[in-house]
Amino acid sequence: MIMKKKLLEIRDRALSELDSLKNLDALEKFRIDYLGKKGHITSLMKNLGNIAREERPVFGKLANDLKDEITGILEKVIAEFKGKEEGGDKIDITLPGKRPLRGYLHPVNQVNSEICRILVRMGYTIVKGPNVELDYYNFEALNFPKDHPARDMQDTFYVSQNVVLRTHTSPMQIRVMEKQRPPVSIIAPGKVYRSDSDVSHTPMFHQVEGLLVDKGVTFGDLKGTLTSFVHQMFGSDIKLRFRPSFFPFTEPSAEVDIQCVICRGKGCRTCSFSGWQEILGSGMVDPAVYGFVDYDPEIYSGFAFGLGIERITMLKYGIDDIQLLFRNDMRFLKQF
Amino acid sequence: MKLSLNWLKEYVDINITPQELSHMLTMAGLEVEALEKIGDIHDKIIVAKVLSVKHHPRADRLSLCDVDTGTSTVQVVCGATNVKAGDLVPMALPGAELKGGIHIKESKLRGEFSGGMLMAEDELGLTDNHTGVMILPPEFETGLRLSDAINPLDWSLEINITPNRPDCASVIGIAREVAALTGQKLKLPGVQYREEGVPVSEVARVDVIDADGCPRYAAGMIQNVSIMPSPFWMRYRLYVSGVRSKNNIVDISNYILLETGQPLHTFDYDQLEEHRIVVARAKQGEKFTTLDGQERILNSEHLMICDGKKPVGIAGIMGGLNSEITDSSSNILIESAYFNPVTIRRGAKSAGISSEASYRFERGIDIEGVIFALKRALSLSLELAGGKINKGLIDLYPKKFEPPFIDLRVDKTNSFLGAEIKKGEMVQWLKALSMDVTEKDNNTLNVIPPTYRVDISREIDLVEEIARMHGYDNIPETFPAIRPNDKADLPSLQLHDRSCDILAGAGFSEIITFSFISPESANLLQAGENSPLRQFVKLMNPLTTEQSVMRTSLIPGLFSIVKENISHGEQNLKLFEWGEVFFKDDSKDLPIEKIMLAGVISGNYASKRWYSETRPVDFYDIKGAVEVLLESIGLSNITFERRISVEAYDKNSSCNICHGEIILGTMGKIAKEVLDGYDIKTSALFIFELDIENILKVKSGKIDFKPVGKYPAVFRDISIIVDKNVESKSVQDIIIKTGGSLLEYVDVVSVFEGEKFGPEKKAVSYRISFRSIEGTLDGEQVNCIIERVLDNIKAETGGTLSEG
Repeated sequence: MIMKKKLLEIRDRALSELDSLKNLDALEKFRIDYLGKKGHITSLMKNLGNIAREERPVFGKLANDLKDEITGILEKVIAEFKGKEEGGDKIDITLPGKRPLRGYLHPVNQVNSEICRILVRMGYTIVKGPNVELDYYNFEALNFPKDHPARDMQDTFYVSQNVVLRTHTSPMQIRVMEKQRPPVSIIAPGKVYRSDSDVSHTPMFHQVEGLLVDKGVTFGDLKGTLTSFVHQMFGSDIKLRFRPSFFPFTEPSAEVDIQCVICRGKGCRTCSFSGWQEILGSGMVDPAVYGFVDYDPEIYSGFAFGLGIERITMLKYGIDDIQLLFRNDMRFLKQF
Repeated sequence: MKLSLNWLKEYVDINITPQELSHMLTMAGLEVEALEKIGDIHDKIIVAKVLSVKHHPRADRLSLCDVDTGTSTVQVVCGATNVKAGDLVPMALPGAELKGGIHIKESKLRGEFSGGMLMAEDELGLTDNHTGVMILPPEFETGLRLSDAINPLDWSLEINITPNRPDCASVIGIAREVAALTGQKLKLPGVQYREEGVPVSEVARVDVIDADGCPRYAAGMIQNVSIMPSPFWMRYRLYVSGVRSKNNIVDISNYILLETGQPLHTFDYDQLEEHRIVVARAKQGEKFTTLDGQERILNSEHLMICDGKKPVGIAGIMGGLNSEITDSSSNILIESAYFNPVTIRRGAKSAGISSEASYRFERGIDIEGVIFALKRALSLSLELAGGKINKGLIDLYPKKFEPPFIDLRVDKTNSFLGAEIKKGEMVQWLKALSMDVTEKDNNTLNVIPPTYRVDISREIDLVEEIARMHGYDNIPETFPAIRPNDKADLPSLQLHDRSCDILAGAGFSEIITFSFISPESANLLQAGENSPLRQFVKLMNPLTTEQSVMRTSLIPGLFSIVKENISHGEQNLKLFEWGEVFFKDDSKDLPIEKIMLAGVISGNYASKRWYSETRPVDFYDIKGAVEVLLESIGLSNITFERRISVEAYDKNSSCNICHGEIILGTMGKIAKEVLDGYDIKTSALFIFELDIENILKVKSGKIDFKPVGKYPAVFRDISIIVDKNVESKSVQDIIIKTGGSLLEYVDVVSVFEGEKFGPEKKAVSYRISFRSIEGTLDGEQVNCIIERVLDNIKAETGGTLSEG
């Protein structure tokens, strides 16, 4: 069956050749080469006389099948090529696309969403509270007694003797604990107000408050939680440090500094050459606060933290002027 | 607080670099905000001796000095008038480099040779003194480098003292911390001096009327002092600490304040009527002129220091002009007292004064440190101003301070911190902080804090000290197990995220504006007298009138941003804001807060592009945005109703957005007068404002699924010629009503007005889709419905089918 072997060889060659053909001209040449009057298959069939009589019908069938098979495949390939080549003129793909309209979300809210997303994933629930707040929630129950110098830490807008624009989102700690027994795990994003306006301050800005109270919550838990948060927010290679500080409603208190994202800790103007940037305040909830919401500090412990969203936004994008965030200039907004 | 490192080193040995010290203090809770090298004097500045001074022949204000530089005699042209022959002065030799990059060279000034420059203290960068050339002590060696003679090289540390640590608002306070952190010994300055003559209690008398406001009052006296400028070392220290030098006595009280944290006050004894001090509350409305020359009107919040007849100082806050130390003062009474922090706080707030003294009294000073500071001041006065110190002291201290007695549990401390600190280490740290520690049992320590640690009264305060000294860095990080809760998200949050995404997808950009606005905005929005827009919540202490009331609408904020952007040449705007508005409610403690969502469009819909022409925005652009938004958040059956109560809109092109009886918001074109009032330079503005609370009320969040028909739809286009004033919706309603259950939807395909249809007519084309879920519709059946539709339209609106 030398002839049969030859047929199979032709088949293999034809199929592999077909794969490599790039255009209609090449396909036409292929057709002539194999299926034409002097093509490989036709020539073989013309040689029918040279083989044994009893083998002729078998070989003839094989040859015809091969011819049909290749014809079929070739037609398909030609059809594909025609589709591609006859689709019209070549267009200028470098012209700008026909764009649907597009708006931009404010960078502060984008960062706010990102912060909340990270914390919600850790198990915190978002709560909201009033911007105009009672002195009781904003100060008193957070262990800022009246006539205490700690009140100087925050320049306050007053609506009346007992009503203020909240100076931080911390009042939500009290509002939540007042209504709910432990475990408590909440975050409270929102606007806060301080009567301060200069290059680095605006009278309104945004914070996210976090509070976790349960049995056995430790200062180590606070460190672990905030370290994980910072790594998710700024990347896991960013260094951070916990520095003792003071807030009336937490003890021990810690400010969290991250390695300056501009100079990576080498020291630059943005970080006043310290290599560090303060990004949040935190601490273990002070037992005095539990006294206002009737939690037993011998049973429960917890931590709280507060992040300035503008500050994080500015660090994240390298924005050097906080006022830009509230000017809402389209040339600024379009960058985010 | 600004602190001199050299000063600090007098009380504690420091064997680490200034940078290491800064880091150590920062990590112990005393944040060093700035570290600055000071007193770095160039080597070419030396001690020179003035040999002679004569007038510059061609310049009245200059003189020619011959000076001895130790190696030669040179002539220097000098502008100061205080130099005389024999003085030792700092001189910059040629080659010296001064602050600001000035290089000293030999030169000619008005024709006279000058071989250098005689220098004032401020030119040396030592103090801010520019009264003349610095005169050095006569014992200095001529020719010596100035930096070797006065050794001014120092570091200034700017430390942020938190309100709980008034004990650290002094050089000794910081030294105590450094000693505790490094294990070094604290070295306190001496208070030995010789007393002479009559005891102070015999020449002066103190009566404390308000013992609550003044738990301790001590005084000492020194006679026959000479008031003069302080020596350089003291002026330099004060300067590094940010305090201005005045005269030796005043400087000493400031120096002791910085050194010990105890505010002192010095009185000119001879100005005190009856040589008497009375501590009592001020009379309401009493007038008093403080040291700074300002007249203050007092009230009963102010504790006063008075003499036998009149007030001479506001206790713990600021002294009076009438008993100030002057150049002629000779006998000085020094006050060292402890005033009640709340009394001082209220008084200082009420007087609007914040002084170094009030700062410390408010936070709480060491009541047991009163005498030490007083003795320091007396001994330093004797040293710098001469005279004689009277025997004894006056010390009114009726009720001795009892320090707290605290139990600290070792296991509780560790379980709270998540640490494993040994009891021994805890004891060691507490003792390093000068606490009195005894072991009550295996797990409990009895601790008595030192009297200056006014922040420590509870176990938790000690836990903090342990954590701080052990180092926050050394407490391992762990993760809390947060128990899940089954509360659903706040509905407004979901709505917020969805709305912002939809609007951004529709081309609107988000803005954030301040919650406070100008009260004038209600007038600019043409709000009626009883409009809720006028129910402003007012701030008592706004920064400006422009930000003096809480907003009652998001519109003023949008307008200001539109205006701002137009001024930058950005005309085509689509903006939105999500935020709270506030309405005064006298029946409640707090105002009503509502969340609103508002948007604005102006200019052209989009810029001209290669594929599209541009066109101005109109009412239907804002309406379309509102429709898409409300649909996307799952609201159907929204209606638009013409009656509108907001005056800022153009009545003809605005409407309420309603769901049944509930008004969800308003939208439309802003009236021309309002635009003019705001001075917004654009042809038209269209806005919407939605009340999120009302949207949440009507939003079910439920979607009623309807089966998708598998049979084909049948379309019919009809064009109706109708009077111009017939609203599209009335025709549409007829089509829907008549179409019945087979009607799938109806769309408005075109609207034409033109001569062709007559002046008061328009042609509106509707595309109607019919579909049955039961089978393929028969064309005849649909034609029948269309016939009925046309009949009803004609009957109800007079509209007829266009034959075109």
